[in-house]
Amino acid sequence: MTGSPLVSEPLFHLGPVPITAAVTTTWAIMAALILGAILLTRRLTLLPSRTQSVVEMLVGAVDDQIRDTLGADPTPYRPLIGGIFVFVLAANWSSLVPGVEPPTAKLETDAALALVVFAATIFYGVRTRGLLGWMKTFAEPSWVMIPLNLVEQITRTFSLVVRLFGNVMSGVFVVGIVLSLAGLLVPIPLMALDLLTGAVQAYIFAVLATVFIGAAVGETEPPDPHAIAKEPETP
Amino acid sequence: MRIDWWTLGLQTINVLILVWILGRFFFRPVADIVAARRAEAAKLLDEARAARDAAVAARTEAEAEVVRRASDRDRAVAAATAEADTAKAALLATARAEADRLRAAARDDIHRLVALETARAEARAGRLAVDIAARLMTRLPKEAQVAGFVAGLAEAVATLPEATRAALGTGAPLALKAPRPLDDDERATIAGALADVLGRPAEIAVTVDPALLAGLELEMPHAVVRNSLAADLERIEAELARHDVS
Repeated sequence: MTGSPLVSEPLFHLGPVPITAAVTTTWAIMAALILGAILLTRRLTLLPSRTQSVVEMLVGAVDDQIRDTLGADPTPYRPLIGGIFVFVLAANWSSLVPGVEPPTAKLETDAALALVVFAATIFYGVRTRGLLGWMKTFAEPSWVMIPLNLVEQITRTFSLVVRLFGNVMSGVFVVGIVLSLAGLLVPIPLMALDLLTGAVQAYIFAVLATVFIGAAVGETEPPDPHAIAKEPETP
Repeated sequence: MRIDWWTLGLQTINVLILVWILGRFFFRPVADIVAARRAEAAKLLDEARAARDAAVAARTEAEAEVVRRASDRDRAVAAATAEADTAKAALLATARAEADRLRAAARDDIHRLVALETARAEARAGRLAVDIAARLMTRLPKEAQVAGFVAGLAEAVATLPEATRAALGTGAPLALKAPRPLDDDERATIAGALADVLGRPAEIAVTVDPALLAGLELEMPHAVVRNSLAADLERIEAELARHDVS
């Protein structure tokens, strides 16, 4: 890591489009995730294998998080929240591969993720409340709050970018500095710490995206998908 | 700091594509299989609940059947007991009646055998008495075998009907049975006594019969005058037998 983390140098050009390392790494991650998804979901059965149980546990955890945060059926939000979580986690942990810089260590990738979340909040808010209803949320609890709410929409999205970018980029940067100063094995504890940081940041990014969408769609009556599962627990 | 807008745009598209693909090929299949399992579990639970309800109903029915069978068994036992009691009572009554009948028959047999044995004993006693009398008679004087019975013979002839008495001795001598041969005096005494009773002379023809023991008897075509110790003993014996039977 010798260049500036704030500058993305193109590796090559596709016509007028410069292709940076973050983009190629993202494509590789996408290919790996899609291949893994196809392999994992190829033979799903009612009697799950150990691998299928782990996959179902991951999806169930995403559903529970959405349900707890939104208080609504997680089905419409599952692909977005789950997809962002899986991608950010894979991107953060891609730093373990020697010579690979995680895409989330670049500002454009984090900004793209935040942009998607920002667009999703508007999409889900309008779809749930209607355009007028969604716009009225900016006047809550009082019309005086309209400027602040408008600013909040920008700042919280920007905070998503900065938080993820700062944590991942700093981790990669620190590991690079330590690696240039010390021996080969010295950065290993820092890389392990990066694993934890990457997982936490993926979780935080997904949770915040859920919270932002929840704020846009408002309070809804949650369904009770565990009704069947909870029934035997009733004494 | 410089934002590469091309990279921003490409990454945005990449994220959207990845979100769509993961949602289509990962999250949806997994969520569907979880929902299918949940539905299958609910179905199994419903079936298990239905099976449990059916089992409970079957158990209730079985318990009712057990109670019903027990009641039927009790009734059958009671009926069998009553029938056995009735049969036992009938058998006892029949046995008692049969025993009474057998006892009465045995009693009758005993009475009959006792009477028969008594009669035989009395007959033996009578014969023994006659034998004793006959033996005693042999110790008497020979005159006593005839002389003491002449008057009795005359009295017996006197009691005969007139027609019979008139026919005695006509055409043939009177057949006289005696226990021993008579001498002339005894013949004359007897003929005299008969002539006195008949009012005319009577001729006698003597026949010896030791079975008379003592006495004299007349035998006529249509009557017999028995005037002997043997005849007396026979009457006594007959009288004794008749007395015992009565």
